[in-house]
Amino acid sequence: MPELPDPVTYAVPAFILLLIAEMIISLRADKSRYEARDTLTSLMLGTGSQVAGALVGAGVIAASVWVYQFRLFDIGIEFSSWWWAWVLCFFLDDLAYYAFHRSAHRVRWFWASHVIHHSSQHYNLSTALRQTWTGFFSLTFLFRLPLFLIGFPPAMVFFCAGLNLIYQFWIHTEAIKRLPKWFEAVMNTPSHHRVHHGVNPRYLDANYAGVFIIWDKMFGSFVPERDDEPVRYGIVKQLGSFNILWAAVHEWVGIAKDVWAAPWKHKLSYMWREPGWSHDGSRATSAMIKERWRAGRPVEESAE
Amino acid sequence: MTLTELAQLGGSVIAVLFVVWLVGKMGLGADPRIEDDAHAIRLAEEAEAGFRGIEVARDRAGFAAIVRNAAGRQMLVRAHGNHFAARPIDASVMGRLDKDFLTLTMPEKTFGAVTLHLGKDAGMWASRMREIGRA
Repeated sequence: MPELPDPVTYAVPAFILLLIAEMIISLRADKSRYEARDTLTSLMLGTGSQVAGALVGAGVIAASVWVYQFRLFDIGIEFSSWWWAWVLCFFLDDLAYYAFHRSAHRVRWFWASHVIHHSSQHYNLSTALRQTWTGFFSLTFLFRLPLFLIGFPPAMVFFCAGLNLIYQFWIHTEAIKRLPKWFEAVMNTPSHHRVHHGVNPRYLDANYAGVFIIWDKMFGSFVPERDDEPVRYGIVKQLGSFNILWAAVHEWVGIAKDVWAAPWKHKLSYMWREPGWSHDGSRATSAMIKERWRAGRPVEESAE
Repeated sequence: MTLTELAQLGGSVIAVLFVVWLVGKMGLGADPRIEDDAHAIRLAEEAEAGFRGIEVARDRAGFAAIVRNAAGRQMLVRAHGNHFAARPIDASVMGRLDKDFLTLTMPEKTFGAVTLHLGKDAGMWASRMREIGRA
């Protein structure tokens, strides 16, 4: 089985330099873009994520190789003769990411690990590194398995996934407002991704793209950023804590408590239904929040 | 974990601590305060869609506020880093009155306890809390 380097490892020095550059910009533009305790939480969650990845990485690779033996096509890995397969792999991996990411916001089991990334009320390059510790536990690797079944070698898929992750780093910033129209039309950008991190009802559950924003436009989840409505970042029920461990596991604890307390027929629903769902309607899902928000707006605005 | 991975981990932790030190050294951050009643109401309404605040008890320093809606439901809003976080005040919230100060201890330990300097209004808001407990 051929092996390729992990591109993310090589990108880390650039991550740190860009982070410092963004901090210098914030010093001039808006000092409140950074907060030391928030940055510490984000970066330690990122470090913990690397540890978790190292611990379970072998398991994910083994599962990928096992699925790969049932592949439909034999696709080589040499770039000179299989360049088109590399391009296709990157594109399809991004589609798989879209599917994962949308599910991660719509199914509480997946959300429990992804919520970590959204738990900061800041939106800066350190937020990009606020990554999950429990991705393996929530089975998020399942979304890439179809690529191995098609026949893309695991090393190729993981390399493309690394490039995808690197791309997503720089879009976590308020330092860039809008990019040229052609770029905003095709690619995921800081503007599109700010919307994704928003808790304003208008912005909830939108822009799941990794690299190409076209998936959101194709599947009806695209919402543009508005200049008249600044994005408020974080999660619907803000964490209100800089505790690193709590940030990493709070939703899992929430699931455990809910499943324990729920009547038998509703227990599973607290795992697979959307975040905010409750059997007695005492909480609000994003759809309910949007509905209340629309109901509270003037008629002419609601008609938009 | 291999030795290389352990070395990478050590390097990451050093880089993290350096960046966090730099954030502090550069003076980045803010000291958010709740400016007035309207600000407190806006924060409570942003925290819970559909909540409409009508009355506010604001901490004298602006660190926190209690916002009440027409139905008598109350929401605690407090500063958190450069921003604010809010929680509904229900029967599980412990209230302690000490002259002009009202301390609310949330059941969620990581959210912590919040002490509001409310002046002469502290007693009235404390009794409102007791009403929630009795309801």
